[in-house]
Amino acid sequence: MSKKLTRRDFIKIAAGATAATGLAPVARRIVIEPFVQPPEETLPGQATWYASTCRQCPAGCGIVVRTINGRAKKIEGNPLHPLNQGKLCARGQAGLQVLYNPDRLRNAVRQSGGRGSREYEPLYWSEALDLLAEKVSSLGHPDRMAFLGGLMPDHLYQLTNSLLTALGTAPPIIYDLQCTLEGRRPATQLSQTFFGTADLPVYDIAMSDVVFSFGANLFETWMSPVAQSVALGSMRQGKLSGRGLIVQFEPRLSATGASADEWIPVRPGAEGYVALAIGRIIVEERLGHVGSHRDNAVLYQNVDVREMSAASEVSVDTLRRLAQAFADADRAVAIPGGYLSGQHNGFASMLAVQALNRIVAQIGRQGGVFLSTPAPTVALRSKPEVNTLSDVRNLIKRMNAGEVDLLLIHGTNPLYELPAALGFAEAIKHVPYVVSFSPFVDETAVWADLILSDHTYLESWGYQVPSPGTDRPVISSQQPVVNPLYDTRSTAQVLIELAARLGGRAVEAIPWADEESYLQELVTELYGSSLGAFDARTPPGFWTLWRQYGGWWSEKEIRQEPETTDIVQKPLPMVDPQFDGDPEEYPFHLYPYSSVALTDGRGANQPWLQETPDPMTTVQWGIWVELNPQTAEELGVEDDDIVLVESPYGTLEVSVFVYPGIRPDVVAIPIGQGHQDYGRFAQAVTGSNPLALLAPITDPDTESLAWGATRVRLSPTGRKKKLARLESIDGQGRESIG
Amino acid sequence: MNRFWFFSFLILLVVGILTGILLTRIQVFSAPEQPIAYSHKTHIEAGIQCLYCHSSPLRSDLAGIPSVKKCMGCHNVIANDKPEVQELAGYWEREEPIPWVRVSSQPEFIYFSHLPHLGTGLSCETCHGDIGQMTVTRPVVKMDMGWCLDCHLKEPQPKATRLADCLACHK
Repeated sequence: MSKKLTRRDFIKIAAGATAATGLAPVARRIVIEPFVQPPEETLPGQATWYASTCRQCPAGCGIVVRTINGRAKKIEGNPLHPLNQGKLCARGQAGLQVLYNPDRLRNAVRQSGGRGSREYEPLYWSEALDLLAEKVSSLGHPDRMAFLGGLMPDHLYQLTNSLLTALGTAPPIIYDLQCTLEGRRPATQLSQTFFGTADLPVYDIAMSDVVFSFGANLFETWMSPVAQSVALGSMRQGKLSGRGLIVQFEPRLSATGASADEWIPVRPGAEGYVALAIGRIIVEERLGHVGSHRDNAVLYQNVDVREMSAASEVSVDTLRRLAQAFADADRAVAIPGGYLSGQHNGFASMLAVQALNRIVAQIGRQGGVFLSTPAPTVALRSKPEVNTLSDVRNLIKRMNAGEVDLLLIHGTNPLYELPAALGFAEAIKHVPYVVSFSPFVDETAVWADLILSDHTYLESWGYQVPSPGTDRPVISSQQPVVNPLYDTRSTAQVLIELAARLGGRAVEAIPWADEESYLQELVTELYGSSLGAFDARTPPGFWTLWRQYGGWWSEKEIRQEPETTDIVQKPLPMVDPQFDGDPEEYPFHLYPYSSVALTDGRGANQPWLQETPDPMTTVQWGIWVELNPQTAEELGVEDDDIVLVESPYGTLEVSVFVYPGIRPDVVAIPIGQGHQDYGRFAQAVTGSNPLALLAPITDPDTESLAWGATRVRLSPTGRKKKLARLESIDGQGRESIG
Repeated sequence: MNRFWFFSFLILLVVGILTGILLTRIQVFSAPEQPIAYSHKTHIEAGIQCLYCHSSPLRSDLAGIPSVKKCMGCHNVIANDKPEVQELAGYWEREEPIPWVRVSSQPEFIYFSHLPHLGTGLSCETCHGDIGQMTVTRPVVKMDMGWCLDCHLKEPQPKATRLADCLACHK
């Protein structure tokens, strides 16, 4: 022993060793807590699966959740559900981390240090509800209250709507970033204009031979990505006619583009021109097998293929080849996606794309365009419709003018999700009292006086008619799979209790004792329907089967076939794209794209999703800007260099990812990071919110945010911040050598 | 002098380890303190079957700990003057689960199921001892691998080989 051991050390070591050996079993003291009241369908140690509906995005996929001893353990797709047919995406799988999130609010809280202080004081629910009821009843005029919501479950929307109507307040304003990025409102308007109905189209990818996707990230976040991915599988492998052809038109190669056979990097905003040129070629050269194109000639009478080719930077040869492929296919479909709707000329482009389906007679035909089948009863048809950005702007104007005394916010996070330039952050300061229903303290909840924290979706009741739907009427049910973990309360229940406190017309409008009895009454209207996939003998029996199956749907395929309106008798509009920012000063188009894991930022508080490598860049836990190698060289930057991105509205510092799959005049940043609040995992990724860069401009036809129409400039900062990447982009690891 | 300390250290280490082992044995067979002084003896003497309260070993991996509701099914009226039963009623009133401390356990890396063991005709007492005589529940055997194999290897072939396979029990 080279080192001298002192007597003191010796005793310490000896005592420590003795204690450690002797005490080992004590540390294994395991507490087992049985149920106070066991649910009747559970058996200790055996899994019980509950069917419900996913709420990680508005698609409405059916899920089954494995629970053991009252704890949710695993989420899978519901194999019986006609929409997602047993499949589920990563976001759906990660739903457990919403339930078990350590940053959840555990009570109703009041901000004790004033708004923005982030100091909270728990409230008893009776106190909190009294407070809310007092605020509502002391309003000078019902118009002085406003409700801003995200795309909420249908039953909650109905309750909110009924209550607000009874109080004489305007209906809720529905607006969130996900709906904006997928262009839900413009898509509804397109259906209205083209088919005369507000039901969203269902594109029959599964049976199609040729799919032209114009900026629709079909297999990532657009509309119903799981259903569309299932359809992709059928299209590729389920038919005798071969793998088919998918062409993706977008300025940046997305994961959907990578699954396609061909990627056409169109100039931003010129997607409509490509569609017009393809249409013109088909009609003019009488391509395909639909016979006479005389009826359609009028649509394209003003279209010049060469001009369109020059404007979109797609060669005439390519356009002709694509036109031939589209027209010659037995079944072809063209899909107007979210990126189109995010342009200043979005609606014109979407019309041009939808018209392609018309000229190859694919409307209401297998492998073409159908409409979502509405729910079979009138009561179940009432569902949230997305408002325009102008409606949100009006609200902001009223807030600034001091015309809103009470603002209620549910399921949306405007302070994060709206372009900063709209000034919601300033406007909310002019509202005397703000109530949030968020289960998490997000950027908006920080500015609320009162947070009536809602349950997470795995603890909640509800139902949803998926929109876009599938080949039959579907109503997806939502039920609690576990008892609420904390003292939170569902917003539907809060509204019912609020109505009871307010009395009068409010309680007449929503007179139910609780959320469950309301749902039961609404849903058992379906009892006895001859269409259903299951038969119940009694209404309570129906309620049981409804929960066991995870909803109600038709046994057989029932598709809604659209009829075109007289839009097709006029030339299609041709609108030049407009961008905010002087092209000399701001040379690049900014493409803020929806992250496949974090969606519109709502997934940022779930570590499984943060850890999921982005499919194209394999970056984990990060934010980056994608530059074409040529652009990077011109700027003198390489991977991991921090650049300053500036638009006329804001700035952002972010690491560079050199990406060959992007046009040299476009830079792309994923949406979802840059949270100032929303919990430890969301805040763990440093960086700013790319929405701060966006110009608050809209497509005048749809009044939707033109989120793809901002120009930016880039400058190197000379600093570096390494991105955590799972793989190199060439798949050889060569980038990391040397 | 240094050598003296070294030998003293060795001796004390050996003593320490031996004490540790002894303490461990005591710990293994000692009864953990429970939130309510529950007596199995009283209940068995009253003629209640094990399976009345631990109702799932014939259907599941776990035998199951009775819910507070099940306790109250009898104790609403029976012996409700006893302090322990009043403690129980307190949990019921507060709708709190009772934090019982596990007496017999298997480590996380072991797959154990009651179902096949009862299926071969074993009784509860084979492993859990004469619970009917215990006022305080304590383990009677150290449920380690040697003990499992004691029985598994006594089975006729080829069952014994199958039951001695690592993956029969280890996850």
